[in-house]
Amino acid sequence: MQRRSILLLGVSLALMLGAAVSAPASQIVWSGLVIANNVAQPEPVPPELNRIEETLKELFGYNQFKVIGQSRKTLVTGSEDWLASSKYFSLHVDSKEGNAAGYFLNLKLFQEKNLLLETDAKLSKASPLVIRGPQVGDGQLLLLLVVQ
Amino acid sequence: MKTFEEKWTAWIDGELTGPELAEFEASLPDKAAAEAEKRDALNLGVFLKQQLQGRTMGNEEFFHHQLRERIAADAGGADVRESSGTKRAWWPLGRLVWAGATSLAIFAVCTVFVLREKGPSDQSQYLSQILNARVDPVVSPNATISMFESKKDRVTVLWVDGLQSLPSEYATK
Repeated sequence: MQRRSILLLGVSLALMLGAAVSAPASQIVWSGLVIANNVAQPEPVPPELNRIEETLKELFGYNQFKVIGQSRKTLVTGSEDWLASSKYFSLHVDSKEGNAAGYFLNLKLFQEKNLLLETDAKLSKASPLVIRGPQVGDGQLLLLLVVQ
Repeated sequence: MKTFEEKWTAWIDGELTGPELAEFEASLPDKAAAEAEKRDALNLGVFLKQQLQGRTMGNEEFFHHQLRERIAADAGGADVRESSGTKRAWWPLGRLVWAGATSLAIFAVCTVFVLREKGPSDQSQYLSQILNARVDPVVSPNATISMFESKKDRVTVLWVDGLQSLPSEYATK
């Protein structure tokens, strides 16, 4: 009788703790190298940027955002790395660890073999990350990371 | 129609009378041997009746007293079992209610903790954050770094100025 009560209590606690400390499910991180510029007939933004299109336009003052390189990585363990690259640029992303709050990333932007920029960041699910890179022609290179 | 064995048994028991007795005795091949067998059977019956009589009980009252006490004790035990059976039926429900209440209380405490941790006061954990950033001072000696968050779409921006400008061909895929 007492054993049954303890068992019931244990099961209840396990269920509650399981719900409270739930492990993060696998998520997809979209990483993009984007050239932002102003043109007379802007192309539609890629679907990954639909949600933040207006914010990007306000922040950077451009009307077109064109993807020149991208990567879509499914994070399972949270400790993975990947590369998004274009002809001249590459963004190397190294995910250190992940939890419900987000992923800790090390980002390196290379122009061919030259390291232009390195940063450590925490990428959260509900908060895209935008990095303003170098001026390219009449536009700007932007690096974007979005958890989908 | 009686069989020979039935007539034989009835003859030994002295139950055959009249013409039936005469007819049976006439049918016997050796009447003297049959008479001897009948006597032996009767003697055996008398012997068995004498030897197998039930023994009289010397302590009859004491035996009855013991028997009554045993019956009374068994009846009492059954009562106790019935009453404990009632308790068994009640206790699981009680314990179940107790366990449920305890679980709910613990759940409530956990919920409070979780809500406190994820409350609006700690909203920054849901925003992406730039922890640090570096540029090569040799390649980009005039580069400056700033970071901010746009509240509108929760966009976190690392704003780097002063990187070397590149020609438009670098915008190719």
